[in-house]
Amino acid sequence: MSDILAQLGAFWADLPLIVRIIAGILVIVVPLLIGMALLTYFERKVMAAMQLRQGPNLVGPFGLLQPFADGLKLLSKETVVPVQANAGVFFAAPMLTFLLALVAWAVIPFGEGLVLADINVGVLYLFAISSLGVYGIIMAGWASNSKYAFLGGLRAAAQMVSYEVSIGLVIITVLLCVGSLNLSKIVEAQKTVWFFIPLFPMFIIFFISALAETNRAPFDLPEGESELSGGFNVEYSSMTFALFFLGEYINMILMSAMTVILFLGGWLPPLDIAPLNWIPGPLWFIAKITFVLFCFIWVRATLPRYRYDQLMRLGWKVFLPFSLIWVVLTSGVLVYFDLLP
Amino acid sequence: MPKLTIDGVEIEVAPGTSVLQACEQLGIEVPRFCYHERLSVPANCRMCLVEVERMPKPAASCALPVGEGMVVKTNTPNVHKARKGVMEFLLINHPLDCPICDQGGECDLQDQAVSYGYDRSRFEENKRTVSDKYMGPLIKTFMTRCIQCTRCIRFVDEIAGVPALGGLARGEHLEITPALEAGVNSEMSGNLVDVCPVGALTSKPYSFNARPWELRKTESIDVMDAVGSNIRIDARGGEVLRVLPRLNEDVNEEWISDKTRYAIDGLKRQRLDRPYVRGADGKLKPATWAEAFAAIKAKVAGVAGSKIAGIAGDLVDVESTVALKDLLNALGSQNLDCRQDGASFDASNRAGYIFNSGIAGIENADVVLLIGTNPRWEAPLVNSRIRKTYLTGKLKKVAVIGQNIDLTYPTEWLGNAGSILTDLANGTHAFAETLRNAKNPLIILGAGALRRGDGLAVQAAAAKLAETVGAVREGWNGFNVLHLAAGRVGALDAGFLPGAGGRDLGGILSGAQKGEIEVVYLLGADEIEGDRFGKAFVIYQGHHGDRGAHRADVILPGAAYTEKNATYVNTEGRVQQARLATFPLGEAREDWKILRALSAELGHTLPYDTLAQLRQRMVALNPVFGALDRLVTASWGPFGAEGAVADAHFTSPVENFYMTDPISRASQTMADCTEAFLKPALAAAAAE
Amino acid sequence: MALLDRTARGLFLWELVNGMALTFSYMFKPRVTLNYPYERGPTSPRFRGEHALRRYPNGEERCIACKLCEAICPALAITIEAEPREDGSRRTTRYDIDMTKCIYCGLCQEACPVDAIVEGPNLEFATETREELYYNKEKLLANGDRWEAQIAANLAADAPYR
Repeated sequence: MSDILAQLGAFWADLPLIVRIIAGILVIVVPLLIGMALLTYFERKVMAAMQLRQGPNLVGPFGLLQPFADGLKLLSKETVVPVQANAGVFFAAPMLTFLLALVAWAVIPFGEGLVLADINVGVLYLFAISSLGVYGIIMAGWASNSKYAFLGGLRAAAQMVSYEVSIGLVIITVLLCVGSLNLSKIVEAQKTVWFFIPLFPMFIIFFISALAETNRAPFDLPEGESELSGGFNVEYSSMTFALFFLGEYINMILMSAMTVILFLGGWLPPLDIAPLNWIPGPLWFIAKITFVLFCFIWVRATLPRYRYDQLMRLGWKVFLPFSLIWVVLTSGVLVYFDLLP
Repeated sequence: MPKLTIDGVEIEVAPGTSVLQACEQLGIEVPRFCYHERLSVPANCRMCLVEVERMPKPAASCALPVGEGMVVKTNTPNVHKARKGVMEFLLINHPLDCPICDQGGECDLQDQAVSYGYDRSRFEENKRTVSDKYMGPLIKTFMTRCIQCTRCIRFVDEIAGVPALGGLARGEHLEITPALEAGVNSEMSGNLVDVCPVGALTSKPYSFNARPWELRKTESIDVMDAVGSNIRIDARGGEVLRVLPRLNEDVNEEWISDKTRYAIDGLKRQRLDRPYVRGADGKLKPATWAEAFAAIKAKVAGVAGSKIAGIAGDLVDVESTVALKDLLNALGSQNLDCRQDGASFDASNRAGYIFNSGIAGIENADVVLLIGTNPRWEAPLVNSRIRKTYLTGKLKKVAVIGQNIDLTYPTEWLGNAGSILTDLANGTHAFAETLRNAKNPLIILGAGALRRGDGLAVQAAAAKLAETVGAVREGWNGFNVLHLAAGRVGALDAGFLPGAGGRDLGGILSGAQKGEIEVVYLLGADEIEGDRFGKAFVIYQGHHGDRGAHRADVILPGAAYTEKNATYVNTEGRVQQARLATFPLGEAREDWKILRALSAELGHTLPYDTLAQLRQRMVALNPVFGALDRLVTASWGPFGAEGAVADAHFTSPVENFYMTDPISRASQTMADCTEAFLKPALAAAAAE
Repeated sequence: MALLDRTARGLFLWELVNGMALTFSYMFKPRVTLNYPYERGPTSPRFRGEHALRRYPNGEERCIACKLCEAICPALAITIEAEPREDGSRRTTRYDIDMTKCIYCGLCQEACPVDAIVEGPNLEFATETREELYYNKEKLLANGDRWEAQIAANLAADAPYR
């Protein structure tokens, strides 16, 4: 057994670097896309359950193939480009959104040592990539040359900028406790206790800000079906729309993964005892991500959309001062008790 | 003048009035089935029960003459209960046929059952059934529905004057039966459908066709004879489904003739719905309006005005006559004639060609002389008016010069020779004395009498007779001409006659034979044989593919009388307006509009663009056209030309009552009637 | 005290948690919707679905062209033309219903004196073109033949209340 593993390891090490990189990317991206498809199915099923409905149940067993049917449908549709649109930017926007959503996954550790690029500034990288995500939406809103799309783009920009501030402060508190920007290190730092227990208010703020960052209910103002009839993606159809859709859902998974890494102990089991520690780390990681995603959906099924001024008030007048105070508090406690790592 | 109180309101009415009529004068509705204003009173339906003070039981108001100081109540619980009882008895034997009954929606029994009926029956025995009877091709019978009001029997006896219906058996078993199952051979039989209060007698051609609420109702004027009956045209979509009479006491009362009522299916057959132009191969080919006008223009352009002629037909309205007259005059033609039957009479004086006494005036006459006319076929409503007067006892004697036929009232036949008229005019005939002694003598000169070559002399002799016997005096003019064609008097009034140096019909036809007339414009003129036009270029404007269209070189499709807003003048000289009930068929247009368009094409644009302008032009031409719906008395003056009246027999020009014009000739119903009523009579006459 | 209470509730997101708990509890309640093409709810005998013209058991069509349905139709969807049939009975030559105009109010079947026009139990008659929704007499009679058993049962079930 160990022979075979060793042989496999040797074979792997013998492969050219480029092949290893491409294989690594595929190993991440393909399950990710399948996971995203299942997430849409999962969302519809959970929402249906909460609303006493059936949910998709016709395509495949229990409707499991529904997301693929939807994808095929979108693929076979005509791409409509508005006459007044700036075609280049119009097509670039969804590609950018999709691309950025995938790129971030390079630094996510799925288990001990299971990471494509184990860089030291992983958190900063993630933060930078998720901040870039807003460009896709602004480009879409502007290039569509439609007032709804434009308003959607404006809202997305303001909203993402606002909530990134509080996300940044939340991450700082975590970093203060860890002393490293490496994501694997952050996970390992939670061996004794997951950060969501000492930093519970920060965990809540991070979760809510993650909702806003991914444009999810109750902060789905850039899309706002009832007011903007679809917001920034109102003019998009067919594959261009599908790319936005994919990008958004992969972003959701990404934010869930970040929550898990920062607060829920990454791939670590809840208690380091048998039989919990028999289960491999990646499975724990996936299970935790699923739980956070469930919470995303649960919130969507429960809460109505915020008004725009309420959204801004929450971001600037509640989260920002609160998280600032908490940063000061945390650092104060750490310095006073000399707990700095 | 007895005074009585009805429902607390006092009213004074003429003696002999019935309580029901007194109620009507007050506007109080009294339900009735058997009672009909124009028929005798049998009082057998008992629906009109009212309460009268000091009378032990409710009384039938239709048969109860008013008395001084009577106190009548029409709205008490007692009256209601009595009427409900009557209704329940009526409904015992009346089948629940309403959904399949043509009367449904306009049925007296149905309407009154709403007020007085119960919603279910207490009657549990079998209902009476009665076998249906044959009443000819016009009337469909469902005798089980009959409520035995006997209106139909009284109508044929009293108004139609043909005792063709009678009642067999008694009580519940009373059945209305036509004599010998031969149908009701009367030219008024269609009115039975209106008279019947239930669906026992319904219209056969209209059967199961439509419901009254589907129909678009248009009040209009009939053109099947010169009486100008007031009618209501019921149409659905583009189809005229039936014609009903409209009340006009001065013209048709509330009756119409069968031809008026049933010839309308002729409006759907043999119609001209697009222009045609005769091609080089001698065949008529469909064309557009532009092509048809171009063909006319090409022909007329090189022809002198004096070589163009116009003939107006029987069914034309005044508007188109005036338009054609103006157009031809503008082209320089004076060759106009509206008497396509070839009649010759003096039209210079209006009194010389109209029915001066008016149709209602017949009721004042005590002696009537009919010359060369069969009013029963030529104008059934005039005939029924004479019969009505005869029934009142006021009319002492009716004498006939012409065919000796049954006119539904007793007549004295003076013979049919022309000389009798001369004798009468000279006062040498015995009957002249009777006329002279009469208070209001009436002379009716038929169109057939004027159609003879000596028409002018006949007209003059009749006028002389009228003058000598005192038929023309202040307040009474008993000189009457009974025309056949609805358009004739209107055309005469419009002056559609040879102008100075113009040719009349005879002149036009002989001119056409000789090549002196090159273009003939036929405005709905269908009674002239085609070969009489020689080599002339014939333009036919009309609505049916009849004789005129067969000969025509260019056909312009016009509108029939139900399809245009038009003015007609009846034989009395009464100006009445017909209204558009359906739109003209296909490419066809209203006649005056065709002429207006053609005039523009020919470079002589007529000076009117709207119907209102055209009607102003008509009034300017003859002020009579401004006097709508009333009689204008024509002043008496000399007319006609003294001359010898030929000794030839006077005959009526109508050989078949059911087919006299393009519309009735195209009608299947009229053909059926000819088959059912006329053929047996001819066969019987031949067998004798 | 009330202020404190309110602040505490706000701080600990009390209402939010309550709402989330409520939605979560609903996840385990039975579904109220049906899996439609495979499961169906019960329909009333008075259900007003696709129109049908019925026949008598001997095959004679019931409609007698009384035109009451045409008269009462508030959407003017019914067009009838009639004339005597060869045997002299009153029959329609044309009975059209424009199903795109019809508002399924059921007045036609209420007006019908012979129960000829009925709105049957069928509600699955969607078509690909508008033209297919212009029903003529043939189509309506075919509907009647197809649904007769159910229509008759429905009429019988509803008879006591009519």
